[in-house]
Amino acid sequence: MPERPRDVLAGKLPVSLITGFLGSGKTTLLKRLLRDPGMNRAAVIINEFGEVGIDHELVANSSESMTLLSNGCLCCSVRTDLQETMRELFIKRRAGEVIDFDRVFIETTGLADPVPVLHTLQTDGMLGAQYRLDCVVTLVDAVNGLRNLDDAPEAAKQAAVADRIVITKSDIAPPAAVAELEARLQQMNPYAARMIAVNGEVDVAFLRDVGPRSTRDAKGVERWLSPAAGSRPAEGAYLGERARGGAHDASIRSFCLWFDKPFTWDSFSAAVQVLTSLRGSDLLRVKGLVNVEGERGPVVVQGAQHVFHPPVSLEAWASDDRRSRIVFITRNLERESVESLFAAVGTLAAQSS
Amino acid sequence: MPSTLTGIGTRPDQALSLNMKLLSHHELAGFGGIGEGMGMQLAKGGRRILWMAHESAPKNFTAVDVTDPKNLKMVVQTELPHAKVRSNSLDVVGDVMAVAYQTSAVNMKPAGFDLFDISSPESPKLISHFDASGQYSRGVHAVWFVDGETIHMASGAADFQPTHPSDDQFYRIIDVRKPSKPEEVGRWWLPGTRVGDSVPPLKRHPKFDSGYRAHNTNVFPQRPDRAYVGYISGGAVILDIADKSRPKLVSHWHYSPPYTGFTHTVLPLFGPELLIVSDECVQTDGKDWPKLVWVVDARMETNLVPISTCPLPPVQTFASNGGRFGAHNLHENLPVPGSWRSESIIVGTFFGGGVRAFDVSNPYRPEEIAYYVPPAPKLSKAGSIQLNDVYVDDRGLVFTVDRFAGGLYVLEMTV
Repeated sequence: MPERPRDVLAGKLPVSLITGFLGSGKTTLLKRLLRDPGMNRAAVIINEFGEVGIDHELVANSSESMTLLSNGCLCCSVRTDLQETMRELFIKRRAGEVIDFDRVFIETTGLADPVPVLHTLQTDGMLGAQYRLDCVVTLVDAVNGLRNLDDAPEAAKQAAVADRIVITKSDIAPPAAVAELEARLQQMNPYAARMIAVNGEVDVAFLRDVGPRSTRDAKGVERWLSPAAGSRPAEGAYLGERARGGAHDASIRSFCLWFDKPFTWDSFSAAVQVLTSLRGSDLLRVKGLVNVEGERGPVVVQGAQHVFHPPVSLEAWASDDRRSRIVFITRNLERESVESLFAAVGTLAAQSS
Repeated sequence: MPSTLTGIGTRPDQALSLNMKLLSHHELAGFGGIGEGMGMQLAKGGRRILWMAHESAPKNFTAVDVTDPKNLKMVVQTELPHAKVRSNSLDVVGDVMAVAYQTSAVNMKPAGFDLFDISSPESPKLISHFDASGQYSRGVHAVWFVDGETIHMASGAADFQPTHPSDDQFYRIIDVRKPSKPEEVGRWWLPGTRVGDSVPPLKRHPKFDSGYRAHNTNVFPQRPDRAYVGYISGGAVILDIADKSRPKLVSHWHYSPPYTGFTHTVLPLFGPELLIVSDECVQTDGKDWPKLVWVVDARMETNLVPISTCPLPPVQTFASNGGRFGAHNLHENLPVPGSWRSESIIVGTFFGGGVRAFDVSNPYRPEEIAYYVPPAPKLSKAGSIQLNDVYVDDRGLVFTVDRFAGGLYVLEMTV
């Protein structure tokens, strides 16, 4: 009886990365989250304790850098750097010195590019072994969001790499502005589900359990790759450009490539290598399910710019549709270029065999 | 308010978990102290019945229907004849169950084992009793019964006078092909432990003398000519039992002292040619730490080489919670239908450290991949959970039991 392969994803603690430009409402959202009963056994890494204003009556226990709240949520401030904080958190958990938290939320600073944090999770050996990226949640405020997307490359990038987008301050923005912002986000990144939050009120469930979390859950992984409910298929850049007459962030595109024929792992990784070495900085986010010859199930790939996570083989396909599907969110990089690269590599690989 | 978070995770009233999820819990009608006997019966009508031997009197054994792991139903719970006997160990093959009996002192009864017909789980019927009582014997501590034909066990005998009272239980092989008439066919003891041996009595462990006794006596179909025996103070023993009437020593890995003794289980992994050897922690508050699960290179069975141990959380974290903390029983890859078998994942119980799973696919660097530490059971005298034994079924469900009060915990392992 062959043994069932280990579920390499199950052992890792999911990490939700919460980003958003200056003034997008992260502090308000965190204030709410830290009081939410649904945050029991979550660890939250924030920039400043002072800012979120934790009332004394909510504190069950605290030390210099960590506070256990009465809802069971462990709140930590980043002291030197995030990498060190995450290592320390895991070690303390392992030693039983803090609660055995089962997920982590990280607040990034408003100007932060989220991609280096994704890289840290991937390239730090210990963090990569213990944590996995669950999702990037980006807050965009309805009042200044559109302008920021146009004027601030960081803001556009935050929205582009998101798996979930929370639109804030809709209560103080004109409805037309909210609609326009939604249309823009839809055009940039139709793969991120969106919700509108008032006063930071967000269901915790919207911020978690998004990315691949089990090698036995191909259906869940397919959902992660699908355009968010209600959105059109991912031809956003083209439609968006036409609708808006080519505004600034039209340089960000998102599209999904489908491939009928299985790849050999060599040819797939060759294509990805060419892409990352020539245009890595313009690959804001890549996520996909790849049909690789010789594998029982699809292989999950994901990356941001130059760094890809190690591929993860799922146990089985979710349905009969075994086409490879890869979502690209790019900057100044056309769908056709990526398509033709894969086609060329495919042709070369076929000739060699 | 305390000024630091130190100790916050060690509160024994809090569950700790990684990749194991509690599906259900059964307190076994208030008698939640279970020993180290767990067996699963695939009963008529597709039912899965989990049989458990109690750690001490008054109860003998309890069966729980675990077909639906979220809806446990106690099927039967039986009584011991008196308070100075314990069953502690049992095994199930098909519809036959062997239950051990060990008395608290020598020269008492019942001391031996029973065979039961459990074809109707609600009403187990006694088939026979094997008597191992005697003036030097406390009876049977542990049975290994997986082929329906032979019981391998750690037992005393009326004719076995140990050189030291703690050395009373040795390895005995009982033929039960005629279940109504079990018969001893062979035995082995560590030379020096029986009066009249040609070698002198063995030197005692200076600090942790638990006796030179057999504990688990495992035989697998892959090597029917080998018995893998944990010999407590005597370390790990491999015996050649090709001729059951004359077991011969193949190899003996003796690591205490300097270690603190009590070798409990010797579990062979035939594919990777390893032995997983577990100690038993027998003292509270970390006094006999370290009690480990060892990974031993067994490519050459006459030259066993320990290469690593399974990583445990810091002793400081758990030892002060009350009770024992350290290794004990492993899931033993039972070669019977219904049992999970793995040559890469080892699941064991660690008393206050809960139930823990390790990936030994790289035997030089075992990796902890899952654990569950239940909160202290309400009525436990230990003050913390004391998980004593574990059985993993072929659905990947983990069944684990508390030594004193907590009863049965059913966990889903997602690794």
